Amino acid sequence: MLPRLGRNQTPHDTRIGGEETVAEIGKGLTITGRLNTTGEIHVHGKILGQIMAGRLFLATDGFMQGDLVANDVRIAGRFNGRIYGRNVLLDSSAEVTGRIFHNTIVVAKGARIDGRIPWRPPNYFETLEHMWEVQS
Amino acid sequence: MNMFSRSDRTLDLNSSSLPGRPKGELPASTTTDVRPAQVSTQAAGQTAAHKQGPSIISKAVKVTGQVESTEDIQIDGEVLGDIRGNLIKIGKTAKITGTVYGEEVELAGTIDGNIEAKKVVLTSTAHMSGDLVHQELKVESGAFVNGRCRPEFGKAPEKNVHPVKPATVGREQTVLQNSGNVSASL
Repeated sequence: MLPRLGRNQTPHDTRIGGEETVAEIGKGLTITGRLNTTGEIHVHGKILGQIMAGRLFLATDGFMQGDLVANDVRIAGRFNGRIYGRNVLLDSSAEVTGRIFHNTIVVAKGARIDGRIPWRPPNYFETLEHMWEVQS
Repeated sequence: MNMFSRSDRTLDLNSSSLPGRPKGELPASTTTDVRPAQVSTQAAGQTAAHKQGPSIISKAVKVTGQVESTEDIQIDGEVLGDIRGNLIKIGKTAKITGTVYGEEVELAGTIDGNIEAKKVVLTSTAHMSGDLVHQELKVESGAFVNGRCRPEFGKAPEKNVHPVKPATVGREQTVLQNSGNVSASL
């Protein structure tokens, strides 16, 4: 049941709050290509390509297509592609098409998911992050 | 657990009363029972709403590819690729490899590539190697510029498109425009 998912991890843990550097991708902004950071990204605009980040928040008006690797992922907008997130949170307004590789996941009532939601052990994400670093 | 079941209820209300999304738009008609959960779910969204305004590509961020915007952008990170926008502020810590197109460009960082903008400001920490196409230019002392400066923003394409047209008329016009611009910018 849902409460069990939140046993070790309150919504507070997965919430993406203010940290040192937050990159804001505004409403009118479109990025085509790759985005790399160890910090946090808030997306209100459009991203076509790949993102690697510490934390990512895709806002209700945001859209992303491509691959996403992040420790903490919160989706409230539309996403098309693959998510590799250790902790994933889908808001009620989320629309995700594709796969969500996760270690922990919270899905709010109303979120739309079209695709698979495979679970992976924590070390899977470590190797993944490492591989991406080498790539870039 | 408690919180979870509560927020669950908010969402339920939300979906039944409003076809749209954000929890922030819920009318005050919801029961008091629901409110605390509302606050907690809103928290992250609120921070996002506060910061809405210019787009920021912060220090630690590296972008490989195109950046396009209809709004203002502040860049403090690294960009490999072209940037298009309205007002583009390039901070001290920024490193850009590619062309920057905009209405207004303020450079305090490093660019390896061209700038094409109506109004260009190079601050004292600016470092650029590449050509500048502008209409208005401001250079502060200390700025490093290695390249050509051409006050031809918005004119070059016209010449290329109509190279066969009677030259005299076109030239007179451009000369007039030029003189106007010079006086305006001085």
